[in-house]
Amino acid sequence: MSDTIRVESFSWSNPILRWCLLGFAAFFLLPWNALEYGVFDATYSEFYNAYAWSSIKSSAFSLVCLILIAVRPWRSMAKADLIDAIICTIAFIGILVIATLNGEALGYGAAIQMVAFGGILALALARLGFIQGDPFMTGAILLVGGLVGVFIYFPVLTIFSKVVVDDKGAFTPFMFFNLITSFGMGRVVWNSLTMAIFVGASTTFLGLVFALYAARISTRAQGVIRIFSMLPIITPPFVIGLALILIFGRSGTINDFLLYLFGDGGLFIGSGNEGWFERSAYIYGFWGIFLAQTLSFTPISFMLLMGMVSTISPSMEEASLTMRADDWQTFKNVTFPLLRPGIANAYLLAMISSLADFGNPMVLGGDYDVMATEIYFSIVGAQLDYARAATLGITLLGFSLIGFAIQRYWIGNKSYVTVTGKGTAGGFQPLPRWLQRGCTVIAISWMSFTAILYVSILVGGFVVNWGADYTPTLAHYEELWARGFGYGAWPSYITTLEFSAVGAPLTAMFGILIAYVTTRRRFAGRNLVDFGAMICFAIPGTVIGISYILAFNTAPLLLTGSAAVVIISFIVRNMPVGIRAGVSGLAQIDPALEEASLTQRASSLRTIFTIVLPLLKPALISAVVFSFVKSMTTVSAIIFLVTPDTQVATTYILSRVEDGDFGQAICYGSVLIVTMMIFILVVDKLVGKSRTQRTIKAS
Amino acid sequence: MTNKKSYGVSLRNVVKAYDDNIVLKGIDLEIAPGSLTTLLGPSGCGKTTILRLIAGLELPTSGQLFLGDEDVSTLSASRRDVAMVFQSYALFPHMTVGENVGYGLKVQKVPASERKDRIAAALDSVGMGGFQERYIDQISGGQQQRVAVARALILEPHVMLFDEPLSNLDTKLRRQMREDIRRLQQETGITSVYVTHDQNEALSVSDAVLVMKAGEISQLGTPEELYLQPKSEFVATFMGDANIVDADLSFKNKKAFASINGYKLELISDTRGQDAGPVRLAIRPEALTMVKGESKTGICGVVTSRAYIGSGTEYVTRWKDADIFTVMPTTGDQFKLGDMVHMEISSIGVSVIMG
Ligand SMILES: Nc1ncnc2c1ncn2[C@@H]1O[C@H](COP(=O)(O)OP(=O)(O)OP(=O)(O)O)[C@@H](O)[C@H]1O
Ligand SMILES: [Mg+2]
Repeated sequence: MSDTIRVESFSWSNPILRWCLLGFAAFFLLPWNALEYGVFDATYSEFYNAYAWSSIKSSAFSLVCLILIAVRPWRSMAKADLIDAIICTIAFIGILVIATLNGEALGYGAAIQMVAFGGILALALARLGFIQGDPFMTGAILLVGGLVGVFIYFPVLTIFSKVVVDDKGAFTPFMFFNLITSFGMGRVVWNSLTMAIFVGASTTFLGLVFALYAARISTRAQGVIRIFSMLPIITPPFVIGLALILIFGRSGTINDFLLYLFGDGGLFIGSGNEGWFERSAYIYGFWGIFLAQTLSFTPISFMLLMGMVSTISPSMEEASLTMRADDWQTFKNVTFPLLRPGIANAYLLAMISSLADFGNPMVLGGDYDVMATEIYFSIVGAQLDYARAATLGITLLGFSLIGFAIQRYWIGNKSYVTVTGKGTAGGFQPLPRWLQRGCTVIAISWMSFTAILYVSILVGGFVVNWGADYTPTLAHYEELWARGFGYGAWPSYITTLEFSAVGAPLTAMFGILIAYVTTRRRFAGRNLVDFGAMICFAIPGTVIGISYILAFNTAPLLLTGSAAVVIISFIVRNMPVGIRAGVSGLAQIDPALEEASLTQRASSLRTIFTIVLPLLKPALISAVVFSFVKSMTTVSAIIFLVTPDTQVATTYILSRVEDGDFGQAICYGSVLIVTMMIFILVVDKLVGKSRTQRTIKAS
Repeated sequence: MTNKKSYGVSLRNVVKAYDDNIVLKGIDLEIAPGSLTTLLGPSGCGKTTILRLIAGLELPTSGQLFLGDEDVSTLSASRRDVAMVFQSYALFPHMTVGENVGYGLKVQKVPASERKDRIAAALDSVGMGGFQERYIDQISGGQQQRVAVARALILEPHVMLFDEPLSNLDTKLRRQMREDIRRLQQETGITSVYVTHDQNEALSVSDAVLVMKAGEISQLGTPEELYLQPKSEFVATFMGDANIVDADLSFKNKKAFASINGYKLELISDTRGQDAGPVRLAIRPEALTMVKGESKTGICGVVTSRAYIGSGTEYVTRWKDADIFTVMPTTGDQFKLGDMVHMEISSIGVSVIMG
């Protein structure tokens, strides 16, 4: 570092002063504290009280720091940059500590001032040689770090604190163990794990069958891929569960049919005789959840395994065949072992999805309690047992983090398939005959079953009461959609679209930014950001929900009740979509392109906008599209955060389900499916084909 | 396009470490203004790292870096007057040739009309006039290389960096391109640093060659110095082929003599700082002439291998424990495997290995 003494001219074009100006403006113009009823509904006195200058608050401290930096009495000292950096850091910590002690909820003014301090800190660090002396990148990294800290680490650490600190604030290190071993907990955890193990097996098996079918047996692979890649994305939660109820439920089609044949006075029983068969609720509980989750996650396993199967080089199998192995030996000794890491991968991911799944157990659980729903039931109604919810949340998060860690660090490195040699001309050798037949039969029956379910969803909304009265009707639709924009489904539908539209671009932006800084830049704390991103991937929705309500319902970060917190949890929930799009997009852009731009004297900001973003456009668009669509189907992460004003589609459907109003729930579900399909197809048309195809694979 | 003023580059005790991995171990290097200096060394020795440090794509862990008189140790890449030609060319695929070349001008807000003229001039200077509207995937590899050079030249930088710019081209094109680069460099007088794996390239285009090994400088000198007076066995064997043999050094009338197994030879290479006594010599294959028959002194042995390479024949002769490598012109005497031969040694191409 040079020890030359820097003498700075006092001019308004000085970037430090410009940031200070922003800080002062925030101080005088914006409410420093959060307004309980939002900016637009606050009374005059609330508004006045919220201003920084209306009384002495954390703002006073912040103002002192800001003035110090603006004046910079140390500006001619050798270590001026270091002093800037230290003051900014002190300002950050000071604001948070004072606000926490005072119970002040920080608002826009404080937020903007923190951004100003962040800007100054970035300038100072860059001059100290951080990130190749690049202030913009330093700022971006500070921003990402700050957001990951506040919206991922802070909530997660908050749930941890809930289980070691009791209601009175005393430190009780063993509370977690008391809670986890308390009555009923063991069974819930056991249920979840059992389910995960079974569902992992079934979806991986079916996924593999479909992958072999699509890649090696059928010639209509593209169709299967297309349908299966769309389904999980556009299917709202609860819908599969509801469809299973329509078919297998107490008054479902199968029961009705069996009753018609074997019930009291049934076809095979004779009128007046007592039947052998009574209505049964067998679908509720283990088998119902198992079936619903298998249906929900098979497409995901398929997409994973399809990626693996289709990259095995035919020459491997040909090599085996030329060594006199027959087709079955080749499959057993070459093809299958090559797929093993992919299978392990798919199995783990399915397990994690099953553990995290909230919608299906919610509808079909019956007495079979699992962790994801038990968290919900600990809080809703009169329970409000936050300690229990937090305990379950941590346990659930622990399992899925372990799963992800195994997947990422162990299996992740074991993929053989990517190291295949050169491609050869010809196609694949055929698989053993009986294997082909088996796969075809299973694949076709499962596809038909899935098709029946989706058809029954679409049809179910048009009958009076499935099981009891099959008269066609539009009553459900009228109830939801024809009572004016202020009634029925409209408010929640509109809110959903608004929130998703706000959240999706932000998700894409931050996802790609996170991908960028973690893959392209080296900086102290990168591992923390990386791990934060992994938490995003692993964290089950219900755990986001519980941790957010615990973290953001007190000062200094009071967000609960606002629309912002719902949008933020959408963003965090969908962050993996953005990060994946970013990582896979960036992998295709040679870093030398950016360096070439830098050596042409373009700033890194300009480089991002003229080089990186134009080349990332496909990834960017797909990230926006899929986070938009995924937001529409998010339920578990926001279930504790919505208020009557911020009700969204999925929570509205949940309330219909809880009222037993399946007709309306299904109806709304179908409308969502159609909405999302239209959206995807329109975007597809606009940006050209194959885009979605490629990116779905990535997600 | 003549340069306003050439800047030298100096590295003062520059250390670069990635985490615990020390990649450059205190490099002191002066690159003369207007010269073309080549960096040569085995893979992973830190050549690219030096270029990236000069470009500002990495900052030194410690030490200082000067461009001219200015300490740029903590200045970011976009504020340095340095241009770089990347091995992969790094041409922007979403821009045309013209846009690529004009990118830096656009960044500097040069007006469009002036930009157009300068783009045309830069493309003309590399023989790519008229290709402005093509996209990068519509031109060949060699043409891409020229565009990359034009893009670097157009900003009239003080320093140009080339990281293995020709390694993706075939041999013939490579020779032509390196001559073109050398010509442009001499015309513009831009201080240039050039990384290559190809010694022929290094010897033919450079004013100075820097040989590196494992993050340290082995030797810096003109191509002739490096070839004819390597200071270490490493440099001797890295810069072309060399036979390393033991000899006795003696001085008489301010002249240096070496005795190789009794064969007396006057040394014309630099022997300053050497004491009389046993030394090791590096002998280039061209300095050896094979002669049929036995000899009591000097190098003498049986031919154990021979390979015809068109312009000559390569022979390996077993002498004591060493394999002596020679190249004889096809026009001269030919030898068979098993022939007993001895060597005549010329003074040019023989040097004492220091240390
Ligand atoms: N970003 C990095 N992180 C860690 N180590 C690095 C990084 N970049 C380079 N290295 C290490 O620094 C050393 C020098 O690398 P450098 O690219 O300068 O080698 P080089 O001389 O250009 O080799 P080559 O001839 O193969 O291009 C290598 O050992 C390399 O592994
Ligand atoms: Mg290199």
